[in-house]
Amino acid sequence: MSRLPVADRGTVRRALRDMISRHRRAVGVVLALHSAAAVAGLAPPWLLGTIVDRVTAGAGVATVDRLALAIAGCVLVSALLSRYAQYAGHRFGERAVAELREEFVSRTLGLPVSVVERAGAGDLATRSSVDVSTVGTTVRDVVPTIVIATVQLTLLFGAIFLLHPLLGLAALAGLPSILAVTRWYLRRASSAYLAEGAAAAELTETLTTTAEGARTVEALRLADDRVRHGTSRITLVWRARRATLALRTVFFSVVEASYPLPVAMVLLVGGYLLSRDMVSLGAVVAAALYLQQAIDPLDRLLQWTEQAQRGFASYARLLGVGMVPPEPPGTTASSRGERLVVRGARFSYSDDGPDVLHGIDLEVQPGERLAVVGPSGAGKSTLARLLAGIDAPRHGVVSIGGCPVTDLDPAERRRRIALVTQEHHVFIGSVRDNLSFAAPDASDEQMRAALLTVGAEWYAELPDDLDTQLGDGARQLGAAEAQQLALARLVLADPHTLILDEATAALDPSTARRTERALAAVLVGRTVIAIAHRLNTAHDADRVAVLADGRITEIGSHDELVAAGGAYAALWSSWHTRVDER
Amino acid sequence: MRYLWWLVRCQPWRVLRGSLIGTAWMIGLSARPYLIARAVDDGLRERDTQALALWVAAIVVAGVGLSYLGIMRHRTMTFIREDAKARSAEVLLRHLSRIGAVLPRRVGAGEVSTIGGSDIDWTAQALTLTGPGVGAVVAYGVIAVVLWSISPMLALCVLVGVPAVGLVVGPLLRRLEQVESVYRRQQGALTARSGDIVAGLRVLAGVGGRDLFARRYAARSQELRAEGYRVGAVNSWIDAATVAIPGLFLAAVVWLTARMAVTGDVTIGELVAVYGYVATLVVPVWFLLEGSYVLIRGRVAARRIADLLTVTPDDVGGPGRRWPGSVPETRRPDDPGAPDGPADLHDPVTGLTVRAGQLTGVAADDPAAAVALADRLGRYVVSDVTWGGVPLREVALDEVRARILVADHDSYLFGGTLRDILGAGADDDDERIGAALRTASAQDIVDSLPARLDTPIDARARTLSGGQRQRVRLARALHSEPEVLILVDPTSAVDAHTEARIAERLRAARAGRTTVVIATSPLLLGRADLVAHLSAGRITATGSHADLLDRDPAYRHLVARGSEEAYR
Repeated sequence: MSRLPVADRGTVRRALRDMISRHRRAVGVVLALHSAAAVAGLAPPWLLGTIVDRVTAGAGVATVDRLALAIAGCVLVSALLSRYAQYAGHRFGERAVAELREEFVSRTLGLPVSVVERAGAGDLATRSSVDVSTVGTTVRDVVPTIVIATVQLTLLFGAIFLLHPLLGLAALAGLPSILAVTRWYLRRASSAYLAEGAAAAELTETLTTTAEGARTVEALRLADDRVRHGTSRITLVWRARRATLALRTVFFSVVEASYPLPVAMVLLVGGYLLSRDMVSLGAVVAAALYLQQAIDPLDRLLQWTEQAQRGFASYARLLGVGMVPPEPPGTTASSRGERLVVRGARFSYSDDGPDVLHGIDLEVQPGERLAVVGPSGAGKSTLARLLAGIDAPRHGVVSIGGCPVTDLDPAERRRRIALVTQEHHVFIGSVRDNLSFAAPDASDEQMRAALLTVGAEWYAELPDDLDTQLGDGARQLGAAEAQQLALARLVLADPHTLILDEATAALDPSTARRTERALAAVLVGRTVIAIAHRLNTAHDADRVAVLADGRITEIGSHDELVAAGGAYAALWSSWHTRVDER
Repeated sequence: MRYLWWLVRCQPWRVLRGSLIGTAWMIGLSARPYLIARAVDDGLRERDTQALALWVAAIVVAGVGLSYLGIMRHRTMTFIREDAKARSAEVLLRHLSRIGAVLPRRVGAGEVSTIGGSDIDWTAQALTLTGPGVGAVVAYGVIAVVLWSISPMLALCVLVGVPAVGLVVGPLLRRLEQVESVYRRQQGALTARSGDIVAGLRVLAGVGGRDLFARRYAARSQELRAEGYRVGAVNSWIDAATVAIPGLFLAAVVWLTARMAVTGDVTIGELVAVYGYVATLVVPVWFLLEGSYVLIRGRVAARRIADLLTVTPDDVGGPGRRWPGSVPETRRPDDPGAPDGPADLHDPVTGLTVRAGQLTGVAADDPAAAVALADRLGRYVVSDVTWGGVPLREVALDEVRARILVADHDSYLFGGTLRDILGAGADDDDERIGAALRTASAQDIVDSLPARLDTPIDARARTLSGGQRQRVRLARALHSEPEVLILVDPTSAVDAHTEARIAERLRAARAGRTTVVIATSPLLLGRADLVAHLSAGRITATGSHADLLDRDPAYRHLVARGSEEAYR
């Protein structure tokens, strides 16, 4: 399995810079507003300091009233400014996140299927869910918090410097230890929290699966087993939580113990400066209060940095998807004819891996029905993927109407050759959404007709006709219904060649029977290559190809093969000797 | 509430320690404003270097002490919460494991996942109240006393004002959460959509429609962005209010105190201290407000856990099971007990008799009837099935489960290594596993896995194909070697070559033991000692496969039908 790539740090930084420069104005406005709000927020301690000075100097009630009113005014102005700053920041965040996720989805949709399959759908699924939402929260919530906190801290410390440079220097007293412990913490935190999250998810999964499989637990008497399994998960969670707690213990104790240091230094230096009459008492008090005020943004900054780091990592994974070269557009738009020809096709799933197919030669005439049978692992599905153009042969050629299938434009290829597997997927959305993408121009009437063609009688009972919502909390379709929906899609797409890869194998027998009836309606008038696990299919096909160990060992009509007395004939006799005689 | 109380009682000393440390920490919070005030008054204003040094030293010492208390509080509370979580998870786990087949009928899997995920957390969160909750009340009192000593009038203003501000701001924040929750739901739906696209990527690759999906997603994403703008507009106002209201209150307090400083009722240092106390008082008040909310949610969550714990196992109309550790039921004199050895099973509803030690095939024209039959034979429902003449419902359920295994075609595959899934312990010899795998024709699955038997496989074995999953299930059932094995559609997803092999090996592997195969495949039925045709709820014919093909046209049609209709 080759995983999808992850962008390196440089690429991520470049992408971030691009994003910021794209929204240059918005970013500028947000920063300016936040700075203004923070400046207004600095006034109250300074005004309090002024009050201290004036009262010490013997000022009257009127002065105090005026200064107190000024404090209230500053609070209001600061709140107003920060409201607009936040709103502007929020809009910027929303826009950026929307751009990001849309680009990710369009990149994902452009990925060649073979790449996705080789990387495992799980990787991409995690990126599309966890990483997209992590980046989303980071941009929407974390980045603004960090920006605000940074602006506030810069201004607070700047203000102390303004009061007196020496006070400013004294205020930096706690910084080295905080920086050091933060570095230490950040280097360990992400992986520890991810491990904690994973352990917790596993425990939840154990509980959920135990409930889901309750009947199996009872039937196979797995109760003790499940308890043992779950208890070990509980232990793992406990251990993971202890690990993160240990990190926090070190981090928070150092940080919190560092908080009084600058206050102490400011007071001491202030005392010295005061004795030389270099600053006023009010200035020292204001500096001490600024430092008290700095605790809150500093706390926020430290708490969210870890989140930001995680957002960065997620962003790298999202960008990584864009690094996969998209599916090539194809060199030929169309080809003449529908004759499917395979010449000397060899294929292996990795460059140095063993061949799965060893030189396949095959010709399928338009309108022909070919059944491919053989034991599991013989390469039937691989052959189907080559025929459908999902993979290209390592050697040899697969062509349709004289043109290699992989040279066809992907959209055109899908219009002509459709691959139907046992996997079926109902997309979240209406019945219409689930059908229309196969044939965007199809009318509602055509869709209804297509559903009837495949025997989807349940369609008549849908509450909202074609607008009935399916999937994700809405109506759930059963396996057979889902497969019928997929088949109706095929009727609409109208390809001339159909490749069926055990399309009904995963269904239970009665469902399979219904689906096969629906399938029959779709097959009329098309070239069909059916990979079959039921011999009935082979019996009714025009020709049967027996695949074993990546080679076609027998090919011919059913009667020819039975007469030839090979492996197929043996299998057939165990299956149907007597039924045939009826 | 009783459940919450139980969680507290399980760890009394830890909870007590949490309360003490929580209280000390909260009170400690108010020390810094006091010390700074003294440093300003005694040190700076009096220009007394020694006093200044003394108070500054006190600030540093208090800071270190406070950070110690803070971290100890966090540690203790974390342990209390974790203990509660682990305990809840454990009782749930034990309970879920023993409820058995009745569970899916009573509780949805989604609900269990909510309970197992967030409800356990919320319940544990409520215990936080035991520490800082108690501390908050005490701290509030201490600050009240200190303020009172400065000025009773000020004390009244602050002590009433801070909670009042909290009561105004609290609901605003709650409102913030509500507005956010709508957005988050939409965001979740959008995430589900991108997941949906990823899951359906192969379908899109097979049929086309990528551009359409990209456009549709983009449209939804823009809708979410617009909703985000709306949320942002509301939220930023609420946020501003939550900052402005306490800020204005603080300004008012400063104004009052400053006026008193002018008249000499309070000192300058006290002026600074009051400013600090107000800021400090926010912490306990906030804890209490937040705590009441957490407690409400925690109670709801605890109730859901308690409800799940009251779901009881089904005894299916007879003596139930004996739990390990419980006193074995004394056998009543009229309790006939289970047959001592292999015995015939008889189902009066359909008229089916399963002969001991034989391989019986059942071909059912209605899959639902087949499943119902398996349920009766395995005593998953109340029925009149007899076992060696004894009503099956009179036999202790434990014994039925131990001796009769119904292997459903969709039985659950738990996550774990393949060895775990097959139900084999680490010390189990590979030969027995190998034999089961061979019979199920599943060795190729093992060979294709990177670490063979020790390869981890996720729950439901989603990485395996339908046919592979089915063979793993079959191997698991065979490996448990029950006295009576009832297989429902064991090979429906397997290709004909493999099915033929399985049919042959199954017969050999189960030779001399009672086995029922419910299927319509001629390859399986052809290997049975006796085949019964179940039609319209009754056994209409019995005999060998060949026999029935000859003389029962309906049977012939049943086993021969399938995809051939598709071509006609």
